Amino acid sequence: MSPEQTSLAFRENSVRALEDAALRAAMKQAADTFGTKRADAFAPVADLEALRDRASDIREEVLANLTMYVDRFVASATHAGAVVHRANDAAAARELIRKILADRGARRIVKGKSMVSEEVDLNSHLEAAGMEVVETDLGEYIIQMEGETPSHIIVPAIHKNRRQVGKLFADRLGVPYSDDPQVLTKIARKALREKFLTADAGISGANFAAADTGSLVLLTNEGNGRMVTTVPPLHVAILSIEKMLPSLTDLPAFLRLLPRSATGQTITSYVSVITGPRKAGDATGAKELHIVLLDNGRTEINAGESRGILKCIRCGACMNVCPVYRTVGGHAYGWTYPGPMGMILTTLLTGMAKSHPLVDASTVCGACVEVCPVRVPLVDLILELRRRKVREGFSDPKEKRGMALFGKAAASPLLFALGQRLAGLLWPVVRSMGGKDVAGRMPAPAKTPLRRKLP
Amino acid sequence: MSGADRERLFLENAAKAAAGTCSVRGTGDLPDALGRIVAMDSPVYCPGVTELEKAAAPLFPVRAADYADAAVTVEEVFGAIAETGTIVCVSAGGRAVQAGLLPAHHVAIVRRERIFGTLDDLFAAVSGAPPTNITLVTGPSRTADIELTLAIGVHGPEKLDIILV
Amino acid sequence: MRVLLFGTCLVDTFFPEAGEATVRLLRRFGADPVFPRGQTCCGQPAFNAGYEAQARAAAEHFLWEFDGDAPIVTPSGSCAAMVKHHYPWLFRDDPKRLAQAKRAGERIHELTQFLVHVAKAHEAGLRGRGTVTYHSSCHLTRSLGVREEPLTLLSSLKGGTFVPMPDAARCCGFGGTFMAKLPEISCALADEKAASIEATGADTVTGCDSGCLMNIADAMRRRGTKIRVAHIAQLLAEGL
Repeated sequence: MSPEQTSLAFRENSVRALEDAALRAAMKQAADTFGTKRADAFAPVADLEALRDRASDIREEVLANLTMYVDRFVASATHAGAVVHRANDAAAARELIRKILADRGARRIVKGKSMVSEEVDLNSHLEAAGMEVVETDLGEYIIQMEGETPSHIIVPAIHKNRRQVGKLFADRLGVPYSDDPQVLTKIARKALREKFLTADAGISGANFAAADTGSLVLLTNEGNGRMVTTVPPLHVAILSIEKMLPSLTDLPAFLRLLPRSATGQTITSYVSVITGPRKAGDATGAKELHIVLLDNGRTEINAGESRGILKCIRCGACMNVCPVYRTVGGHAYGWTYPGPMGMILTTLLTGMAKSHPLVDASTVCGACVEVCPVRVPLVDLILELRRRKVREGFSDPKEKRGMALFGKAAASPLLFALGQRLAGLLWPVVRSMGGKDVAGRMPAPAKTPLRRKLP
Repeated sequence: MSGADRERLFLENAAKAAAGTCSVRGTGDLPDALGRIVAMDSPVYCPGVTELEKAAAPLFPVRAADYADAAVTVEEVFGAIAETGTIVCVSAGGRAVQAGLLPAHHVAIVRRERIFGTLDDLFAAVSGAPPTNITLVTGPSRTADIELTLAIGVHGPEKLDIILV
Repeated sequence: MRVLLFGTCLVDTFFPEAGEATVRLLRRFGADPVFPRGQTCCGQPAFNAGYEAQARAAAEHFLWEFDGDAPIVTPSGSCAAMVKHHYPWLFRDDPKRLAQAKRAGERIHELTQFLVHVAKAHEAGLRGRGTVTYHSSCHLTRSLGVREEPLTLLSSLKGGTFVPMPDAARCCGFGGTFMAKLPEISCALADEKAASIEATGADTVTGCDSGCLMNIADAMRRRGTKIRVAHIAQLLAEGL
């Protein structure tokens, strides 16, 4: 299933989402849970601001020297025995991976969660080539079964309730219906165990990559990430270039921040540090490790004013607190990445022409900035994209005219006062002209504005 | 931090992560502890390579030749981290890290002098020339993918027990 | 003490009573408020929507009208934040105005900041009545860092009760031009905010930003709720 980007229909998508009672309930419950969990997780942390500063500094250092760190990683990982490929764009990444798999006759592929693989639409390309791609992360497993795309970058099936999952499993797996998450999880364990053990290859993402040792780092909870990267003979990892860390010794700062920010855990059940494939004397690891480094526009973004978004470590904290995301869910954004980081990254990666409504999908309340563990300047980035939207001619013509008038009125007291009087006189007309969405929600202008009441 | 503090903190944090914990004074106390923890789980996989594993292996009548067929793996692991209640499994020395992944029950034996205080301590020790696989394990496998409700035991072990020696 | 009053375009046009209340409060606490007649708007609507040139035009006019050294007081957290945080950026290429902008940012006070830190109004024994709850506007809270001052003032009122709202700092859905561009989401957020307010059992909800209060009042109207929505300036002035 190849999902088409529907970001241009953000408003329509939102309206539909607002009318979906099950979705609203699921999102409300999620928002409340995330809030409590994050607060509880960070409460005992001694100096959170210093930790955030350190993580932010490390990410800035990487972006300031991105090419160097990527080159260094390529050298180290190759030295450790991995085969490293650079994919300039989505099509290159898809085809590269297909070829690696096809050359080895791989038919059954087990997959760990990887947002980048969704970004490049990898699954449908492999399935079109006749391969069986099995998503093994429980949330991804659910949505793959449902034929949907993830609606959150950490909890892909957050928009589904237990009854929906129970019905799905009963229908597709032929098991008795249950809506108990424990039971459903055990059903998935049983169904997927056989796939892990018989897979020809495993595909994973990576949360971080250490440039000094050429190591991939995966933070997971279920054990599927570990299975996918060590059980099949071939492991293909795909990650975007900004995931670099200078050194493996930089990892602890992120281990202290990411799990707490994402799920409220002190640490994930598993942190896997994979350095090359299985070597002589090893009894662990895939026999072959291929690493695909994806650019897909990031080098260009890093050279521009929006580079701050590349600091993102994909924790999901921003969307968990975003009033807009919490209300309409992730699918409304129309592409791989939702919420605050998503509206920015989507616009940058897919272009203003395909995404411009997303830059307005924010009240710029700043809740995201408060929780971002690496201090991505999310509000500033959104405002910068809004300026770009205006400059590149994607704003609504009525709005442009209105703002031009505003600019003049704001600079001229006479014009401003005139505008006030006209608004007062014409209010019924403004309202009846279909301004019900705006004017209908505002009181009529005061008979005597403040400037005429005061001496 | 003193060794005793590190040990106390480690046991506390491991328990918070839903791992079973147990502290014994010496190798002599292992059989009792293992007997209680492994109980009726069978067959048992034990690599029998390290001194502690060699002491543990004979305790189990039904042994699996391969961890893929085992109900429980009993093994000694590389170390532990007090800060997070984590045990550290590494692939160095021909260890099969997935022995602690596939069976439903993982019993990890760790020497108390191998407890690192912090994550930084651990990574300082292993970053020089990391082995193929280093896995930090904190508690059993889990997910909250359905309605953010915690479910323990997904693809990895459903139960993790740690024995400090 | 002479202070310059920046009414804000919303207060000037739609809620002059909040402006008048601000004047009464300032006078009561020894400030001599002057309302520069030619003031218009801080430029926030254009700035937040990506119209840099128009925002700068408004900001240039503001700097001209509010030139000098006197403190500037405004009954709006978001407008104070605009001047403090975004004016320097708007004038990054204009050294003379940049200096003025930085100075203006130092001189400007949101009303409750002024009342607590300068006027010590919370020690004046103002009167209150009924049960009041408080909405903590986004820019006020997160941009300006004003979290305690409104609560300090409200809890100092003699008579009357203050009851905190759950999720007081959660966005009400106004967001300036957001309410016009995505009205459905805006209304949904306003409804949630209204429900939080109703759950407190208060008869009055107050805040420091008229845009938020206007959005909340609209939600109340749609829900048929009879809770009074009033700017904190009005509540405090009524207690003089």
